[in-house]
Amino acid sequence: MIRVEHIPVDGDDQRSVAVVTMDRQDKRNALTPDLLENIVNVAKLVHAGQGKAHAIVLAGAGPTFCSGFDLSLCKDDPLVMPDLLTKLAAAVRALRNCTVPVVAAAQRGAIAGGCAILAGCDFVITDTNARLGYPVVRLGVSPAISSSTLRIAIGDGHTRERLLDPGLISGAEAARIGLASECVETPEQVLPRAIELATNLARKPHHALVATKRWLNEIDASNDSDLHNAALQASLAIAGGEEERQRLQAIWK
Amino acid sequence: MNNPTNNLCLLDRTDAVATLTLNRPDARNALSIDLLDALSNRLDEVAQADNVNAVILAGAGRAFCAGMDLKAVLDEPGAPAQLLTRIANVTLKLRALPMPTIARVNRAAIGGGCGLMCVCDFAVTHDDAKIGYPEVDLGVCPAVVAPWLVRKVGAGVARRVLLAGGTMSGTRAHELGLVTSLAPSDSLDEEVRNLAERIASGGPCALRATKEWLNELDGSTLAEQVNRGALISTEVVTSDEARASLSKAFSR
Repeated sequence: MIRVEHIPVDGDDQRSVAVVTMDRQDKRNALTPDLLENIVNVAKLVHAGQGKAHAIVLAGAGPTFCSGFDLSLCKDDPLVMPDLLTKLAAAVRALRNCTVPVVAAAQRGAIAGGCAILAGCDFVITDTNARLGYPVVRLGVSPAISSSTLRIAIGDGHTRERLLDPGLISGAEAARIGLASECVETPEQVLPRAIELATNLARKPHHALVATKRWLNEIDASNDSDLHNAALQASLAIAGGEEERQRLQAIWK
Repeated sequence: MNNPTNNLCLLDRTDAVATLTLNRPDARNALSIDLLDALSNRLDEVAQADNVNAVILAGAGRAFCAGMDLKAVLDEPGAPAQLLTRIANVTLKLRALPMPTIARVNRAAIGGGCGLMCVCDFAVTHDDAKIGYPEVDLGVCPAVVAPWLVRKVGAGVARRVLLAGGTMSGTRAHELGLVTSLAPSDSLDEEVRNLAERIASGGPCALRATKEWLNELDGSTLAEQVNRGALISTEVVTSDEARASLSKAFSR
């Protein structure tokens, strides 16, 4: 479900880039509670200094980065959506709190929960024609969970537009509004560019980089638990409710 | 005015526009303790001056500012803390000037120099200028100037700029919002002058009230965060890792 590969930097096996790959290709890497827990665990291991990773690349196996929650798990059990939302919030926070920089390699598509994960990463590489966004209001689900991280990444105006509009935007537009840090031409160029950037980051003096990320987390409220919990609660307030049930069941008819 | 240290920062005035010039051209205006003291004194003078309605911050000679003069303080115990406390105080004072400020950035604004640029309300440079925060590349943490960049370009862009280190062109700095506008390098003075005169044509009370409100709104008046940033930068710059990286850079 999650693969972790360490790429030594300049042949130094004490300094690596950890490429963390979500691997459910047949489901376009749809997020399950287990997969999200795995992301939390890997981020915490790196945070604790195990594995010598000095930067992380978060990738999705196959053609698409991530299609969002695995909705097939939600159709018969109203408790799954709240569980997914809670674990998504934990994964996003674990990536942001991880001591080393995290680069997302978001090729072709980052939808709903897949897009939410990007706001926890420090850098996001995508491709010009990728599709990104939060179409979940259509499912009777509130993307409020992403508000706290998205406001930090792209500001209030863009956050409002992206969370209320269920439409998707292109990779080029994501780069324009700051949701992506960089946009390459083709999906195939995304992962190599993400690894290149992460390798450059991993080469930098470690103590300075870690201190800088920690300080940024403090001054931009990334580490404000109350703020993130409030955002999660706003989504949980309607999770598993009647509107969601009806709209999800309509998908499977 | 007779204090020789004050020659490290010059103050000129034409009509309602005052110009502060960092004046250590031989060191590309690297920010030393003495230069920051001189700038601090000049900021006091400007803040109290009558009928000044806009302030230009410039650098004498070939470049706006090469950054903090770390070389001078590295081997002296206590000196890095003095230098970083001074840059924190100067940035707070510059931001608190009641009239709008414009950085005139010729050639380079690096590290602490880029920090000063981003404290100003406006910045004008040219397309091939060298702009940025290479601190992390040198084992140094830009914590003391980070809050101003976050206010200037937002937290998302600031994170990427500060973690990635290195420098960027004037064109890229303009795209990211660090710089207000670009001018051909041979007409930089004229562009800055025109902008300053246009700004200075506003009503002094209206300009002051607006700037004061913007400072309050975005947290610019809160000293605590910048002062804590100075402590963090000091802690990192005196670490073994930073010493090793800086010694290597200085010996090049």
